[in-house]
Amino acid sequence: MSGPETIASVEEFLAHAYTLEQESVDRYEELADVMEVHNNHDIAALFRKFAGFGRKHASEVMRLARGRHLPRLQPWEFKWLDAEGPETSNVFDVHYLMTPMHALQVALDNEQSGCDYYALIARTSVNAEVRTLAQEFAAEEAQHVSMLQRWIADTEPAAADWDEDPDPPQMPE
Amino acid sequence: MSEQALSGPRAKDYKSEIKPIWCPGCGHFGVLTALTKALAALQLAPEQVALISGIGCASRIPAYTDLFGFHGVHGRALCVATGLKAARPDLCVLVAGGDGDGFSIGGNHFLHACRRNMDITYIVMDNEVYGMTKGQASPTTAPDWVASKLTPGGTGLRSFQPAALAVAAGATFVARSFSGRSNEVAQIIARAIQHPGFSFVHVLSPCLTYRPEQKEWKHAVTDFGRDDLPTANAALAMQVLLNDGGLSTGLIYEFERPAWRPRAQTGAGLAAVEEEFAV
Amino acid sequence: MRSLSLALVGSGGAGVVTAGGLLLAAAARTGSYAMMRRSSGPQIRGGESAALLRFADQAVECADDSFDLLLACDWRNVDRFVDEIPLGAHSLVLYDPAAGEVPALIADCGPRLLAVPLADVAASVHHGRINMVALGVIAHMLQLDASLLASVITDTLAHKGHAAVAASHAAVAAGRELGRRLAVDATGSELRLPATAATDAARWTMTGNEACGLGALRGEVRFVAAYPITPASELLEWLAPRIEALGGTLLQAEDELASVNMIMGASFGGVASLTATSGPGLALMMEGLGLAVASETPVVVVNVMRGGPSTGIPTKSEQTDLNIALYGMHGEAPHIVLAPLSIGDGVLATQWAVHLAESLQTAVIVLSDQLLGQSRAVLDRPADVSFMRRRRVAGSAAAAYQRYVLTADGVSPMAIPGSSGMAYTADGLEHDQAGIPSTRARDHAEQLAKRERKLAEADYGPHWGEVSGDGSTAVITWGSCTGAAREAVQRLRASGNRARLIALRLLSPLPAARVAEALSGVERLLVVEQSHSAQFYRYLRSQMDLPARTDILARAGPVPIAPGEISARLQAGS
Repeated sequence: MSGPETIASVEEFLAHAYTLEQESVDRYEELADVMEVHNNHDIAALFRKFAGFGRKHASEVMRLARGRHLPRLQPWEFKWLDAEGPETSNVFDVHYLMTPMHALQVALDNEQSGCDYYALIARTSVNAEVRTLAQEFAAEEAQHVSMLQRWIADTEPAAADWDEDPDPPQMPE
Repeated sequence: MSEQALSGPRAKDYKSEIKPIWCPGCGHFGVLTALTKALAALQLAPEQVALISGIGCASRIPAYTDLFGFHGVHGRALCVATGLKAARPDLCVLVAGGDGDGFSIGGNHFLHACRRNMDITYIVMDNEVYGMTKGQASPTTAPDWVASKLTPGGTGLRSFQPAALAVAAGATFVARSFSGRSNEVAQIIARAIQHPGFSFVHVLSPCLTYRPEQKEWKHAVTDFGRDDLPTANAALAMQVLLNDGGLSTGLIYEFERPAWRPRAQTGAGLAAVEEEFAV
Repeated sequence: MRSLSLALVGSGGAGVVTAGGLLLAAAARTGSYAMMRRSSGPQIRGGESAALLRFADQAVECADDSFDLLLACDWRNVDRFVDEIPLGAHSLVLYDPAAGEVPALIADCGPRLLAVPLADVAASVHHGRINMVALGVIAHMLQLDASLLASVITDTLAHKGHAAVAASHAAVAAGRELGRRLAVDATGSELRLPATAATDAARWTMTGNEACGLGALRGEVRFVAAYPITPASELLEWLAPRIEALGGTLLQAEDELASVNMIMGASFGGVASLTATSGPGLALMMEGLGLAVASETPVVVVNVMRGGPSTGIPTKSEQTDLNIALYGMHGEAPHIVLAPLSIGDGVLATQWAVHLAESLQTAVIVLSDQLLGQSRAVLDRPADVSFMRRRRVAGSAAAAYQRYVLTADGVSPMAIPGSSGMAYTADGLEHDQAGIPSTRARDHAEQLAKRERKLAEADYGPHWGEVSGDGSTAVITWGSCTGAAREAVQRLRASGNRARLIALRLLSPLPAARVAEALSGVERLLVVEQSHSAQFYRYLRSQMDLPARTDILARAGPVPIAPGEISARLQAGS
């Protein structure tokens, strides 16, 4: 698999950016759904909010792509840092009793990964226009990172017994 | 994105509106995503795909897709799929389920489905535990796992090696992956669907409720890292699988053997059959 | 009815079943009606066996009370089936002294005995076989046309090659000569094939297993999953090449758990599907049948009953799977149970089963048995029947498609894979109208009621059963006992008594109103069935009121219930 440094055109870069944001949206929606199913509605609302941010970013990418012919890549053809997209990495760090602090940490990890990804392209791409665009995207992700850091600072830490479950797991089938 | 890039179904279009009952962090979400990505990659019309399952957490998957689904009884998904494919060879038939469903109660069908080599793709989400019934040991559970109330001292039994079994029983496409690598899983499923024969896709899929330690699989899985894989040599595949710790991923074995096909002919009418009875 | 009953017995390699089959085929060509049962032991090769034939001047659907003629090639293990060959003073027993003395079990019945040196005569013919000599002796006695029998032998044995056919002709000729020499026709002068009136009706020869197979094909079954089991395997083997010739598929499954689930898969795909099995297999299929009911997937299982419980007596008949067929599923799972009333009725019963499964989207169990399944009959060609209503298929939905939508008749349109925009998940979990799993009390109540309603309110038409005769005495029975019951009632009528026959083809849901109507004015009822614990009687009692004077003739297999037993019970009570 070739790395992100080989992204050589604006079209290819935007295809990556769009998919990164869209997968992030899909992942947050999935987390919101599962939190609703498990009656953790506060966290569900938070994940919906993150999904909304992602959707906004995706539409910004779309605006930049207007008039351009983006390549259609298969999921395994993207030049991510590993097999998965940068903003979907935290698949296992969730719990049905998770607190806002945990949810913000998940989001922070995602935004940091996104920021790192764009920063790498900004440093390494062979295409100057791509480097410039990636720099802009990295800067925006950095803003999200610092926003989330402030948010976390203002948020009450999770209680020590946050995952204590007075109801044992069920036996549905 | 450009019109061309947006035409045709996206992965999300293969998902239904029903929200999964899986626990947050369940590995099966990654498989659902991977499956829908694979279907989008192949641009299959949803109504031409059937997804068959048995019982268990993983077996809930058909309802979460917009495919024709059959959520049957425990252990018999492969049988339902076999009948469907035999009667409707035009359909793309997929089967999904867990390790208990596939290797314990459905173990016999697994062997015979491999042997029959129909053009079916079988995805097992293996978390080495029965989740729906609250955390009992499955055939793939390690012998010394003592967290189940049902087997307080551990099972003491050697765990099943599904991929090796599949090769031995005659499957013609055998792969292993990890649900945390959903793009890799998607690629394998897409290849499995394209493979003309019985394809077995073994996906390590953590259960964070009963096996929270499986979260660490994320750091432990590696590629097979062998340039002689995938192989069409069953002996080599077996050797690799039996010497592997069970956490390597990738396509292991692919072999061209004619898939089972119905021998249906047309021509004779019922009248010719009835004529045989005449005195 | 005029009839002649004949038993051919012999052990390992004697070939009595082949001889019996040739005799049946030859009799069929003379215009006779006939039926041939088989009784065999547990061995695969070399076991003792008996071909039990009855020839008649009209359609024959059961064994007679006793045998007119017994020809024994030898007596080995005769104790295993002597109970199935009742003899009396009127019977004639032909035996070969070279094979030993006539056993006391036989001699004590008081039949006339006649020694025929079958083995000696066979030895005198090049490659001569005892069974063919025996066939010649019987052909002589029955005055069977020599050229007609010869042509049957040539047709039937052609695959064995010219030499074998020639040896058979020679042995049969030697047998005829032996008969002449011993003047057996003088000893058994009453033993003639019953003459039949010339008729234009097409006549067939078929087994009950073949009849059920044909019913499946007439019903447009185009997928069969098969796991071998005695005595159902022949049904599946008969279907295998023929369903393929009609564009369908038969697939051998790894077990019965698989076969019942395979037919569900095929049916989910829109193809009418069936499997056949016997008791142990049916037991394994029960969970799958519950799924067919819950997921409303049409399937048909033909269960060819054998002696039970457990492995029981696989080669012999009984009607004891009624309870499991009615009650074997867990939860409340309304489904349909049918039974053919004769060998030829296997065609209608199975075709109707397919029609009901398809149109009502449920599981149908057809209860045949070894007696029907493995017996061969010469009969009138079963009538063509056509059923108009088929599976109700969902075309395209204006709104979101709901697989299990509540309808007035309880039947919901079923989408078939391949229909765009109609995807759904069939589910064995209780579900709502859209098919989404539900634990709500209301959904459960609605879906239970819907699945019950579609069966309870269906119009089963005239095929639910057969009613004949009149008078205040009635026999009620089902399945393979119908032939004996019918003959018993006919005999009673012939002797100036009046009696009714009620035979149920539809067992569940029980057509209680129709049965009550048929019982109107009946003061005395006899329930006839081949079971030890009177399963049918108990079922009837649980569903409806029966006349105060209701008697039970319930007897386990494997000896079939004979018409004389029934008429004796009817007369004893009058």
